[in-house]
Amino acid sequence: MKANDTNYIQRLQQQKEDALEFIVDKYLPLIKGITCKVLIPLNNNGVIEECINDIFLSIWDHSKKFHGDSNDFKKWICAIAKFKAIDYYRKVNKQIEFTSNTLDVNTEKSIEDELIILEDRTELIKLINQLEPVERDIFIMKFFLGIKTEEISIKLGLTKASIENRIYRGKKKLNKKASNLKLGESGI
Amino acid sequence: MKDIYELLNDLNIDESEFEEMEVNELEKANIKRSLKKEINKKKKRNSWKKSIAAASIIVGLSVTTFVTYPAYAGNIPVIEDIFRFFDNGKSGFYNNKKENSQNKETGLYYDYKKFSSELNITKESNGVKITINDAVFDGKTLTLTYTIESEQDLGNADISMPRIIGMKAYGGTGKTSKIDKNKYVGILTVSNLEDKKLDAAHINWDIDHIKNPDNQTLIKGDWNFDFSLDATDSKIQLTDGSAEKKGVKVRIGKISINPMSFIVYYDQEVTEIVKNKWDGVNVELEIKDDLGNIYSGEDNGGMRKDSSYHVSGSKTFEKLDPNATKLIITPHITLRDYNSDNFASVEITNDGKKEIPLPEKRGKGKEEFVLEDIIIKIKK
Repeated sequence: MKANDTNYIQRLQQQKEDALEFIVDKYLPLIKGITCKVLIPLNNNGVIEECINDIFLSIWDHSKKFHGDSNDFKKWICAIAKFKAIDYYRKVNKQIEFTSNTLDVNTEKSIEDELIILEDRTELIKLINQLEPVERDIFIMKFFLGIKTEEISIKLGLTKASIENRIYRGKKKLNKKASNLKLGESGI
Repeated sequence: MKDIYELLNDLNIDESEFEEMEVNELEKANIKRSLKKEINKKKKRNSWKKSIAAASIIVGLSVTTFVTYPAYAGNIPVIEDIFRFFDNGKSGFYNNKKENSQNKETGLYYDYKKFSSELNITKESNGVKITINDAVFDGKTLTLTYTIESEQDLGNADISMPRIIGMKAYGGTGKTSKIDKNKYVGILTVSNLEDKKLDAAHINWDIDHIKNPDNQTLIKGDWNFDFSLDATDSKIQLTDGSAEKKGVKVRIGKISINPMSFIVYYDQEVTEIVKNKWDGVNVELEIKDDLGNIYSGEDNGGMRKDSSYHVSGSKTFEKLDPNATKLIITPHITLRDYNSDNFASVEITNDGKKEIPLPEKRGKGKEEFVLEDIIIKIKK
């Protein structure tokens, strides 16, 4: 039996390799589009390639966590692709900043940015889990997917001000929790 | 707590804002190849053998000879050569080496049909018909193809392995694919793990259930096959080539060439230091010839003596190019720690099955390296 349009999600979750092949055939153009849009400014094809591989591997490794139909699946993998691409962008950019020694005054990093860049994001995700569902979505969109506040407001049908307000409140919560976290870390 | 993948699953994003980009076939193939490499590092292919440790199988035999006639001679499958079906299924994804020689029609099973015996023996039980189509025995490995017809969905049906009389320990692989509504084809191999050539194989395949691995449904029944096959002609050449690095030594002791394939026998030895540090040592052989052909193969499994790392194993490769004069064998070594994801072992004795617990050793993850090429001259 081969993967087809009706069974590929199920087969992917059963870790059948042909399903992975199937999603590469089906979604590579989309995944490549998303990745390139974010990573083209880096001018590094190697990073783009690595990122695309990483996206598919993550889909494969985490396929059991997915719930929904094939339309939801498309949304899910788009979100993963965007998240991974932004992640790669940040990592590479951070290295570039170090090597070139340039100081961009506007890139003063807020505490949550710092946390996002951390290799191990478990703690941040733990914090996000404690937010209200709407705040949670806003945070993921803004900090993991790099979506602009205006766009988030359109998507969620909330005003820009309301989004900013929620981000502010969420940040405060995170700040509080994150500083507890930091204390905990250094208090050895 | 939800992780990022679950959080992203909950998120309702508008995917229409994303634009597709043009992708060519080469890009797809490259991605598939590197993905395949990555995931196979993590898991071994779905097969009966995971890592074979001390498998001493004592078989109590009651020899009952059945005379079997094809019961449904008309029901010969639509696919004429099931061997090739599984070769094609492997192209690209399972076997990245093949892309290098795309112009050449190859595959491990390319010539198997020609040298196999057409059996077409069918048994029916509980509404399910199992037919053995072709079988071939090279003195070491039995390869057979079968067709299953069933009203119930079987998925990639799991069935038990045949027994070969005279083999004390054996390993094997199997694969079933759905080809049509109610119709499945499969291929399986059973290899003698002992270094002993048999002139004939008496096969006793007693299937009492078929399992659909997708939903774990069991279909009980009684499908019993009994038949014998003579081994194909083969030419055995003793060799003496070896390579050693970082305490791992691989020796190629023998090659056996038959009309449709060739078998490479290898021994693997490791030093005490490696043995104390790692739970398992895996050898993959990559084989080329002096004409530039790359051979794809299937592992037959190996045997190791209790708690030692001295493993004798073999691997079957596709038909040898008759013009080749040299084989270039590159051993790829993986040292690894066992954990429940990559290791399972069972000891079968007269008293029944006994799970072997996971060995405890200092966790290192794994280490991979390549040994120097071993070059074997082929005697004509």
